Amino acid sequence: MLIRTRSAAALAVLVIGGLGVLGGAGTAGAVPVFSRKYQTSCQTCHTIFPKLNPFGEAFRLNGYHLPGETEEQVKQKPVSLGADAYARMWPEMVYPSTLPGNVPFAMNVKMADLYQSSHDDTGHTIVQNDFQFPQEVNLFSAGTLGDHFSFFGELTYAENSDGSGSVEIEHARLDVISAFGPEHLFNFRIGKLAPNLYDGFQEMWLMTNNGVDSLFTYNPVGWNGGTGTAEEGAGIALPARTRAIEMYGVAAHRLFYTVGVSAPIGPGGANGAYNNSASKDFYARVDYKFGGMALDGDSTGVKLPPENWRETSFRIGAFGYWGDGSGVNFEITDPDGNPFKMQQGKFSRTGVFGSLYVGDLNLFGAVVHGIDDLSLRDAETETEISTFRTTWDAWFAQADWVIVPTFQLSARYENLRPGDPSVPIQQTLNANFSYLARANVKLMLEYRRDLHDSLNYQIAAVLRAAF
Amino acid sequence: MKKTLAALVTLAVLFVALPLAAGEIKGKVTCKGLRNNEDALVYVAAIAGKTFPPPPGHVKIDQLNLTFIPHVTAVLVGTTVAFHNSDAVLHNVFSPDSCAGKFNLGTWPKGEERSFTFKQECVATILCKVHPEMEGFVVAVPTPYYAVTKADGAYTIPNVPDGAYTLKVWHPKAKATQKPVTVAGTATADFEISK
Repeated sequence: MLIRTRSAAALAVLVIGGLGVLGGAGTAGAVPVFSRKYQTSCQTCHTIFPKLNPFGEAFRLNGYHLPGETEEQVKQKPVSLGADAYARMWPEMVYPSTLPGNVPFAMNVKMADLYQSSHDDTGHTIVQNDFQFPQEVNLFSAGTLGDHFSFFGELTYAENSDGSGSVEIEHARLDVISAFGPEHLFNFRIGKLAPNLYDGFQEMWLMTNNGVDSLFTYNPVGWNGGTGTAEEGAGIALPARTRAIEMYGVAAHRLFYTVGVSAPIGPGGANGAYNNSASKDFYARVDYKFGGMALDGDSTGVKLPPENWRETSFRIGAFGYWGDGSGVNFEITDPDGNPFKMQQGKFSRTGVFGSLYVGDLNLFGAVVHGIDDLSLRDAETETEISTFRTTWDAWFAQADWVIVPTFQLSARYENLRPGDPSVPIQQTLNANFSYLARANVKLMLEYRRDLHDSLNYQIAAVLRAAF
Repeated sequence: MKKTLAALVTLAVLFVALPLAAGEIKGKVTCKGLRNNEDALVYVAAIAGKTFPPPPGHVKIDQLNLTFIPHVTAVLVGTTVAFHNSDAVLHNVFSPDSCAGKFNLGTWPKGEERSFTFKQECVATILCKVHPEMEGFVVAVPTPYYAVTKADGAYTIPNVPDGAYTLKVWHPKAKATQKPVTVAGTATADFEISK
């Protein structure tokens, strides 16, 4: 039975174990501010925006300075806030800095026609076809403040399928680049940010419209453990964005590391109770890249083709995230519908990331193993009734292929084994065809489906522009 | 007849000798990695046993539209530089460099000027405490043979006597360099400098 009503749209939000497909809205990462600053094309740094090519990755890790940047490369002359000579007069004089030559703002706009099919909890099939015009508007601000500081901000307006909208500061951070010691080795970031823990596979760097929900929106909280993904009111799987202090760097051109202390955002969105938790979370990652352009942009001894998306390289890394969600209550019910509360106590996430570039193909993926200590509590008194440990696993593999720079393909397979042993493994396919109509305008056709349920799918046509 | 012959010989000698006495060094400085090639100072290094008297007048540096004009000023050691304020705001001039005695000339209004004499070889950064972004340079050099490049990098140092010299290049943002040059009429010396 097909239901084509507004109420059905609301019901769709409640679908358990579905695709987490609502909106598909996430953070974006194409920042035309830098095109203006350097008077260069988006494709200098992006294979197809927002996916970064190896040079763009080096630019990002270098705090938005070109590797080996010279004054003549910066076409928008920065505003001096102090003569260079003031550096040797510090602290008698304020250390010199600069402001971007122009107001450092840029925008991304996404228009989406979202056609999706799913089930409600009574088994009915729900079909929606939403003109999400716009699905998302992002206002970016980014730039450098002299040689050692840079900043990045993103204000996002997202419109949901029910017509409601939300505004959120998705990123607001200040970076200190090469704070001391050898160049590239000690960099710091503070603010609301996408941790470098997910460098290469977080949504803001993917060419697809959908992110890897199995990793980032899995809800580990449930009567017997997590049952699937959830958009709101969910516990933390891997926090896509956090409020953090992070240190990262590149050693010997190819060894990348990051460590951070964070307060993850959630549940329930940007101002979730996790931010009030007394404890803080920790994360770390270490990578090594073999072949291709080095992570700091160095290409000494490497023969790179003029097609800047191509190289032969392999990057592998290991990462971990350790947290404690004690003190934050989630509303749950037992199988009979009786209300309880549950806290996500100590948890850990450990994983491996790999990325292989061969010619026009980039094959990458990550595996994550999660452990959660859950605390079941009385709904009214919040007295602890019992504790138990659950584990879950998620992994994905994605292949991005540049047919020609104008036409690109992507296919991703996601696999999630939830913590609740009674819930079967969930498998998802996400396929994308992208047409780069202009360097800053692209059209995507994206198909996503539950591999165990042919009626649980989504087709999206997305027009996206950056300017 | 003897007088006429003597006059002709004198004229012939002068005809040959004058161009040799007033040679020039010209060339181009390319500033790699910088926006353009301006502000490179090319000068003849100290010549053993030779000193030069400073010019009698003052060399003027203007403070106009919150900038030092010119940005780089070369002077012969011993020259007095007058700093003139052409702006409708107060300006100050000071230098943090020891070779210029870390002078601070105070603050003065539009239309006034204050001066400082550069008594030794020096690369003096000149700054304004009222406007921290203002920066200029006075380079006091040991010979009167110097030139500062424009955006195209070309320079000409006129009136250089024939001889062998060391030619030096200094730039506010690039590494200094030097090379030997022999002047016999016109000599050419090109440089490429970078950060």
